[in-house]
Amino acid sequence: MKKDTIILGVIGSDCHSVGNKILELVFSSEGFHVVNLGVMVSQQEFVNAAIETNAKAILVSSLYGHGEIDCQGFRDLCIEKGLDQIILYVGGNLVVGKKPFSVVEEKFKKMGFDRVFPPDVDLKKVAELLRQDIKEKFGQEAAAEEKQPDASPKKHSAAN
Amino acid sequence: MKRIISIDIGSTWTKGASFVLENSTLKLEKKMLEPTTQFDLVQGFSKVLSGLLGQDKSTPLARLRGSAEIFFSSSAKGGLRISAIGLVPDLTLHLAKLAAMSAGGKVIQSFSFSLTRSDVKELEKQQPDIVLFSGGTDGGNSKYILENALKLREAEMACPIVYAGNRAVADEVAEILREKEVIVTENLMPEIGQVNIEPTREKIREIFLKRIVSGRGLSRIVEIFGTQPKPTPLAVFDLISAIPVYHPAWSDVAAVDIGGATTDFYSNTESYLETDTVILKGLREPKVKRTVEGDLGLRVSAHSLFDTARDYLEERLRGLGLQMTRLESFVAKIAENTECLPQTEEEILFDRLLAEACVYFSALRHIGGWKETFTPQGKVYVQTGKDLRRIKAIIGSGGYLSRENSPEVILCPLEKLKFYGEERKLLPENPEIFRDRDYLFPLLGNLVEKYPAEATAAALASVEKIS
Repeated sequence: MKKDTIILGVIGSDCHSVGNKILELVFSSEGFHVVNLGVMVSQQEFVNAAIETNAKAILVSSLYGHGEIDCQGFRDLCIEKGLDQIILYVGGNLVVGKKPFSVVEEKFKKMGFDRVFPPDVDLKKVAELLRQDIKEKFGQEAAAEEKQPDASPKKHSAAN
Repeated sequence: MKRIISIDIGSTWTKGASFVLENSTLKLEKKMLEPTTQFDLVQGFSKVLSGLLGQDKSTPLARLRGSAEIFFSSSAKGGLRISAIGLVPDLTLHLAKLAAMSAGGKVIQSFSFSLTRSDVKELEKQQPDIVLFSGGTDGGNSKYILENALKLREAEMACPIVYAGNRAVADEVAEILREKEVIVTENLMPEIGQVNIEPTREKIREIFLKRIVSGRGLSRIVEIFGTQPKPTPLAVFDLISAIPVYHPAWSDVAAVDIGGATTDFYSNTESYLETDTVILKGLREPKVKRTVEGDLGLRVSAHSLFDTARDYLEERLRGLGLQMTRLESFVAKIAENTECLPQTEEEILFDRLLAEACVYFSALRHIGGWKETFTPQGKVYVQTGKDLRRIKAIIGSGGYLSRENSPEVILCPLEKLKFYGEERKLLPENPEIFRDRDYLFPLLGNLVEKYPAEATAAALASVEKIS
């Protein structure tokens, strides 16, 4: 079976590279085809890579507290660039200060992220959620449909 | 002892040189220059060849066979005209352009994402020599690729299409385009960040041989002498690639060739050195890189050069206390009469300022840069493009730079680039400047495939240090 492609990277001016390497290891061993863009990745770079690779999801990390500013408008950019189906996850030390996680989560969900994770999440569980979300959003038909483009506007997959 | 002849059929001049190969040393024996005969390239070629062999100029070509080993190159009307199609401008399209230029081509137009109806019209209007069609990583995007394939199928073009995109749909693309000539090769970017332009370069070279050469009599030369021509810029590319391999002291070398129509910039150096404080963004560029600028040239492209370089030229003229209008009328004159040589001191100066502008803009586009960024972990540099700081030698070639005795034509524009925008350009830090004294680089480039050590040694023996 063809592996699903996911894009990883640390957004903004953030150089934290250790967690990023761990994510790559875990998600690869969980059976995903991981494209890791490394540190200091801009929104545009995430989107470009997702287009070329036909990725199903983008997993954004932010460790240095400026995630809120860096992630602003991410979903809009995806839609603007034709990635209207893509799954967006974000996780890490997303904001500075001691806000309850539920507040942070809501903030990022409002920005259009499908799931938001604190810094100490079990990655196996994330991988499981990701598999579910991909199945729900893209189903089985999605892959077949993408191979037969026609002039009509994009159809939504049956599973959606 | 063996005699070797190399001939380059340029758009204006057919140049040739004969060499003697003795004790694995190539020695220049004789040089010849004849106007290129556009309607039938063989005539100019014959004249140069017979001249080099000391024969009468009307000797039939077939009778010159066997007297020397022959190599030749052709610029094919100023280079192959390639239309590049990619998906994302910074990724596959960027690589498609780079591959086209590194194969000796000239990118005349480029398209990203979906081809529109007017894009297809543009393609039909331009009738390129090759369409280079890429997009998607292997197993990646196929939607845009298949859409574009369907549009290309409807386009009325006769040229071959090189497909170097997503391998997963290569068969489908070939099937869609079965009524055209399609050449499928490896993906330019099989994975994000992976650069694989060699197979594409090779295919473009093959097409050059088959399709373009047969046009104006070159097939007769191939038939008689049994050697295939090279695209001229590829010859120089091969030479620049081979020099450090055979002469390690010449690692990290660059060359600039300013012609009447284009300016070519070549570099052979590691494009990125990984450190904790320098982060590369975008693609890691190849070690040997050629860029060609179709808008920068001293004659045919003088007008477009003037438009591009207006600010640069204005600043230089102000410093010298000269009038822009004088330069403007000189540009009009040389663009009209491309064989015109500068007569007065002022005209010589103008020619030189235009050459400087060619260096300035070709270097600007070839060389990458650093942006300083402050992060919570401290200051880091974000690099885009190629790092040329370690370049130790820059060699000037082409009609103009091979005759230029002053290093300033190259050094002055590089100095000015130090203050370009917010970015710090990764310029050669302390380069020595050389000139290709006898303008032998394209001719020696033709010999690189068969005599790499000898040809590169001869090239280095013929350069003169001017800085």
